[in-house]
Amino acid sequence: MKSKLFVLLLSILFYSSKINAEQKDLVGADIEYGQHLSGECVTCHNASGLNNGIPKITGIKTEVFIKAILAYKSKQRDNATMQMIANRLGEEEINSLALYLSKIK
Amino acid sequence: MAKITRRSFVGIMAASTTALSMPSIAFGAIPRVVVIGGGAGGATAAKYIAKDSKGAIDVTLIEASKRYYTCFFSNLYLGDFRNYGSIGHNYYGLAVNHGVNMVHEWALSVNGAEKKVNLGSGTSISYDKLVISPGIDLKFDSVNGYSAEAQSVMPHAWKSGTQVQLLKSQVKGMKKGGTFVMVPPPNPYRCPPGPYERVSMIAHQFTKTNPTAKIIILDTKNKFSKQGLFMEAWQKYYPGMIEWINAETHGGIKNINASTMEFETDLDTFKADAASVIPAQKAGAIAMNSGVNNGDWCPIVPASMQSQADENIYVLGDASIAKSMPKSGFSANSQAKVASNHIRGSLTGSKVFTPRFANTCWSLVATNDGIKVGASYKATAEKIDKTSGFVSKTGEDNSLRKATYDESLGWYAGITSDMFS
Repeated sequence: MKSKLFVLLLSILFYSSKINAEQKDLVGADIEYGQHLSGECVTCHNASGLNNGIPKITGIKTEVFIKAILAYKSKQRDNATMQMIANRLGEEEINSLALYLSKIK
Repeated sequence: MAKITRRSFVGIMAASTTALSMPSIAFGAIPRVVVIGGGAGGATAAKYIAKDSKGAIDVTLIEASKRYYTCFFSNLYLGDFRNYGSIGHNYYGLAVNHGVNMVHEWALSVNGAEKKVNLGSGTSISYDKLVISPGIDLKFDSVNGYSAEAQSVMPHAWKSGTQVQLLKSQVKGMKKGGTFVMVPPPNPYRCPPGPYERVSMIAHQFTKTNPTAKIIILDTKNKFSKQGLFMEAWQKYYPGMIEWINAETHGGIKNINASTMEFETDLDTFKADAASVIPAQKAGAIAMNSGVNNGDWCPIVPASMQSQADENIYVLGDASIAKSMPKSGFSANSQAKVASNHIRGSLTGSKVFTPRFANTCWSLVATNDGIKVGASYKATAEKIDKTSGFVSKTGEDNSLRKATYDESLGWYAGITSDMFS
């Protein structure tokens, strides 16, 4: 019983530190700003999570989102619309969006 | 009016879980935003103001229709790529999910001094901030011989609804080997690539059922949006079927005769078996009855979309002079988010962020062959200035064109969900 509790505590500690580390990495991330900026995304990326012709971005992992945006920004990933959108996002904006989008279903 | 107020209050209480955090407006009254027009600008604005204010703002949307058919994608209906039902939407989502009060009436005029909208029923509704997003009206007399009566013979089909269905039945019923004449409008007008996507979709129809038919475009301009891309596609998919004659070549349309179906120009008189005449355009009537227009369109403050004539009125979409943005559903949706953020800020003190705008216009030129043009914009003191842009290229491979078409389907699902749910 005691060892189970210990494992539980340990895993809580582990996961909370992971979350903290993740959020700490998101320099300048502001969830309210992210929500505001996401208004531009959901004109095309269905807010209800549909995935037809345009990828689902709701609930996307922060690192996956950031990697994709940076790939569009550097034009390593093709799509003229996304290259244009990514190109005008700064670090604070990318991180705010990453934080917000990761939190919605 | 009491009925609307009570209903809206109940709606807001139901929609809000943070009723206690409402700001302390005098005597507990909730500020009211009235939105006129339930299209890409108005529906989006109503939704975002209601959604993001979480009950702190009472939002009423005035829209005559209970079912709204999008103008965008109506060309795909002409080409048999969509059925008409699939481009129709209702407002239940806005009412149920966000507590927006729906008033299905015509807004007749606005009294800016008293901050009131006069409705067709003879009642009025007061506002703290008003959003006007009425789309376009047609200037029938911009083409000699064209009129409101002639629209049943030569449909403009530039507002969605029965006109688009009429045009499709005329295209499908045209005699074998007949001539279809299209007159695109002069700038500025709703959906710059739209007339040419329409020609593509009509040509697609003819290829299937009337392959010897001809299409003559008597343009009022000398160039058009995505011209190289459209012309490449017409050559590739519909060789010999489409003839585009620019204004300089035909010297101007002197007169059209809806009973003889003749189009008189300096170059020649063209006889049509079916036709679509899209006249010049202006802001929807309510904008003209609100004192916010300057001539045919409404000047706005680029950073907020506020009318230059009245700081309590915002004008969105086609009716506004949002230079350098084109008049499109995507633009209106983008502008609505900027205005919503600004309106919430001024009524509840919420944070107002730097405005950013974007637009993309997709066009379908043939089965699985989509093209697009788009740009991002920022507000300057004088205008909504383009910061960067892109356009599809000629000679792109089939898989990219198919992906662009698929993307347009995703966009349609996305923007209509963004507007209506």
